[in-house]
Amino acid sequence: MIAPSIDGSLVRRRPNYRLRRSLTEAAALALGVVVLIWTLVPIYNIVMVALEPHGDVFTNDIWPANPSFESFWIVVTEGYWYLENFWHQFGNSLYVGVATVILTLVIGSLASFSIGRIRIRHGWLVSNAALLTYVIPASFLAIPFYRIMHIYGLSNNLWSVIAAEVTFATPYAIFIFQQYGVSIPIELDEAARIDGASPIQVYFRIYLPLMAPALVAVGTYALLLAWNEYLYQFLLLSSKRSMTVPVALAQFLNSDEAPWNYMMATAIVYALPPVAIYYAFRRRMTAGLVMGGVKG
Amino acid sequence: MDDAQVLRAGVLPGPSTSVRLRRRAWRGSLQGSEFTWAVAFLIPYAALFLAFVAYPVAYGLWLGHKPALYAELVSEPIYQRTVVNTVLYVGIGVNLKMFGALLLSGFFMRRRWWVRGLLLVYVLPWAMPALPAFVSIHWMLNGQWGLLNNILWGIFGIDGPGWLETSRWLALGSVIASHIWKWMPFWTVILLAGRMSIPQELYEAAEVDGATGLRRFLHVTFPLLANLYLICTLLSTIFTLGDFNSVYFVSGGGPALSTHVLATLGIRDAFEIGRPDLGVAAVMSALPLMVPLVILLMRKLRTTEVQL
Amino acid sequence: MSRLSRRGVLRGSLGVMAAGSLARPFIANAAAKTATVWWTQGFVPEEDASFRQIVAEYEKATGNTIDYSLVPFLPLTQKIVSALTSGDVPDVMEYNVADLALVPQYAWTDKLTDLTEIVEVQKSQYHPTAYLATQCYNNVTKKRGAYFAPYKVFVSPFHIWNSLVEKAGYRMADAPTTWDAFWDFFKPMQKKLRDKGTRGVYALGLQPTTTGPADGNDTFHAFMIAYGGNDIVTPDGTPHLDDPQVKEAVTKALTYITTAFKEGYVPPGALSWTDADDNNAFHAKQMIMDLDGTISTELALYHKKEQYDDVVTLGLPNDNSGRSVPAQLGVGGVFVPKGAKNLEVAEDFIKYLIQPKVVNVYLKEGLGRFLPAMPDLVKTDPFWLDPKDPHRSAYTRAGLLGPTVPNHPVYNPGYAEANAQQIWGVAAADVIREGMTPQAAAEKALKRIGEILAKYPIAAS
Repeated sequence: MIAPSIDGSLVRRRPNYRLRRSLTEAAALALGVVVLIWTLVPIYNIVMVALEPHGDVFTNDIWPANPSFESFWIVVTEGYWYLENFWHQFGNSLYVGVATVILTLVIGSLASFSIGRIRIRHGWLVSNAALLTYVIPASFLAIPFYRIMHIYGLSNNLWSVIAAEVTFATPYAIFIFQQYGVSIPIELDEAARIDGASPIQVYFRIYLPLMAPALVAVGTYALLLAWNEYLYQFLLLSSKRSMTVPVALAQFLNSDEAPWNYMMATAIVYALPPVAIYYAFRRRMTAGLVMGGVKG
Repeated sequence: MDDAQVLRAGVLPGPSTSVRLRRRAWRGSLQGSEFTWAVAFLIPYAALFLAFVAYPVAYGLWLGHKPALYAELVSEPIYQRTVVNTVLYVGIGVNLKMFGALLLSGFFMRRRWWVRGLLLVYVLPWAMPALPAFVSIHWMLNGQWGLLNNILWGIFGIDGPGWLETSRWLALGSVIASHIWKWMPFWTVILLAGRMSIPQELYEAAEVDGATGLRRFLHVTFPLLANLYLICTLLSTIFTLGDFNSVYFVSGGGPALSTHVLATLGIRDAFEIGRPDLGVAAVMSALPLMVPLVILLMRKLRTTEVQL
Repeated sequence: MSRLSRRGVLRGSLGVMAAGSLARPFIANAAAKTATVWWTQGFVPEEDASFRQIVAEYEKATGNTIDYSLVPFLPLTQKIVSALTSGDVPDVMEYNVADLALVPQYAWTDKLTDLTEIVEVQKSQYHPTAYLATQCYNNVTKKRGAYFAPYKVFVSPFHIWNSLVEKAGYRMADAPTTWDAFWDFFKPMQKKLRDKGTRGVYALGLQPTTTGPADGNDTFHAFMIAYGGNDIVTPDGTPHLDDPQVKEAVTKALTYITTAFKEGYVPPGALSWTDADDNNAFHAKQMIMDLDGTISTELALYHKKEQYDDVVTLGLPNDNSGRSVPAQLGVGGVFVPKGAKNLEVAEDFIKYLIQPKVVNVYLKEGLGRFLPAMPDLVKTDPFWLDPKDPHRSAYTRAGLLGPTVPNHPVYNPGYAEANAQQIWGVAAADVIREGMTPQAAAEKALKRIGEILAKYPIAAS
């Protein structure tokens, strides 16, 4: 059958177009339901534990027998001794998270711009060196990291954690930016340079806007890395005032018997901000689709 | 043709010699100020690298350099089983995860309100801190009172097995599933960003040629995503080799030490026995597997041309 | 749930102040210095408050500053290992299970400062087992010495739900006093309870697990010692793995534990219980009794009077021939790494800390989860043997007044590695899941231990 398409021209469509569309819709819906259940069941368990009064955590119920929001209230009002400094620690986590995101995106995009767009000679050496960061899993690099932070005088300082997180996030950022940048035609840069733009102007006016989806994706990655990472934050920070929430959460494993409902409630309260931040920035992910003609 | 069409033509299949010649003129040696800029842009990362990567990685490599460590490692009866587990964990986990991410990134491109809402729910596992999330899964999978078996019994009348207690393979499967649950959203978001960078014009052009659905995916989407997919797979492999949270908190290496992976074995050696050198050796013993992957990754990164 | 109660803190501070006024500072010169201290975070907030008070008192008395961090137990292990490996160490480290892990191994590699002088001064006040537990072997100097200064001890008593016992129609007063009979006493209760509708309840809280640092090993060792296998490693560090008595004890221990499991008296999940799982199961009344270190199981119920009173705490019964079974005494204390920058202050602080009066106040604030390493304290302070608290008094009797033996890693650090490899848990799993006979599993385990201990040869002195 012949039907109009987006730009108004007539386009031949495959037969049974409407049937195929509804089948696809139904399949999408089914997939959506599967994804929903798959994602939510463990989270439901977390919520259930958070809602149950302590002591009822290990029962055979599917729905909590006596649900109460008491544990959330305790978290928010810092009413338990492990949670005494919760909001301050939350602030620390936020500080570390935002600093990590900004530094990772700046350092990573600058480096990948230099390697991938300006095409500096032997730029691939830097990418490969960056890869060295991942040869040994982060958990083992913790010990020498601890040492050098001491040498740099950054012990018990949030910046030591920021440095560690940025170190682990940036190589990944560079790789993704480079790969992503491949689908942005180099001709755009060249056109701008013909017009007399300096590299820094190309970076700001052309590169960054078109990289928006990758920036959001990598930024979310960096945020969540810093937000949830536990080992380095624990090793590098010693006092309750400088701690971050993941370290505070680990306290619940201190004793054999802890109020699990508070721990899970803390986890839920703590997991929401990154999702909110991701949601706020999601709009920017669609920027790439606006790409159209380039003014000559 | 106007400039815009010329430029677009350079991206689409088919050579365009005039564009190629213009490109070559820029590619030669960089001119003075450009070179300075390029170096200036690299300085932040170089500084970061020298200050925070060089020493720790060198130290880590040094910790694990003695051959005697590897002999000691291999002599442990648990080691072979651990290697098998690691191969399965990484092999199945990474591939299922990436394939699922590819599939779902396409799904999440759909512009419906409920799909966009679902995306936010879908990233929750990634947003949750690992410790409580995996401890919760550990409880959920308990054979006697875990939520999963409660649901199976309450709704379907099935008496579920002890997921983490009865068999090594069931426990390993549970651990792999937990890992995928947590990390698939991350890779989905990355691939989603990749898909969003594909110019809409390509899809329209393909539609004009009559390609929809699967054909469109095979001929337009996948070639452009292929490199990204490969790089993500390789990076995910490296990350998963070092991932110990999933195994540690979900199965604890049980039952009977049968689901340990190299990462958890390394942590055990480093912190429970107090032998970090043995721990580093455990994870580095995966290098023979990792090095070919890393070389492949380096080669892929060098190839910055999109092969269409 | 414990909350920071003002009354609790006040009580604690008054107590510490009283102790502080009686303690004399040891440092002579007036130059104020700082020492960094890593301390295990308390089980209840009062414990931490009490520690802070102790530090405050010390600082006031001597003019030195103590820069301390309160770290939860499991992460503290990682922190200690990182520090000792990288060389950036604090001045004092404290550890709950100093005799069981880390200290023996690091003493072996000469990474710790010898504290013999400090410990010798207190020797007469220490429980002999606690003193014995400090003598770690240094493989560089080829001598033993006191490498940590103990101040707290613990044992693993039984924790039993009296209500479940009575619901099954039995009385705890009728419990037998010999080993096998005692454990067997609970078995028939399982069926009776299930018949009455308590589904999912199990009789025995045995822990044949390979996860978690210590629980699996603790359970096994209790049985092994009860069957006469304590000499698997003797105090001089020599392994006796071929000793027929040891072999028999190990086989019998494996047999009892695995048979009970296979007969269905133990929750099936026990095979992969993590450190907290057994406590969770106990509190959920999934089993009638269990054997677990310290009285933390009961103390978690401290504010729920009814449940707190429902649990019975019991020391170990006698062995099958009626002789008393020594309990393994865990010893916690402080140690000083080599390379500590403020050795003088560190040692001064330690001397202050291990004074019986200071120890007593601190441990009392912790609700008695740990016992003091000085037995005289329980004779002079009525708190410990208070008949109104049957848990604490039973625990105190088992730990300080009854027969005890040190943990084996002190004799030979290789045993700490063997523990970390969960060899006994693997042996139990071999019998339960792989169908090995207990004899074969015992042989395999002993062989493996032999291989590990061969890496740690100790010269006979």
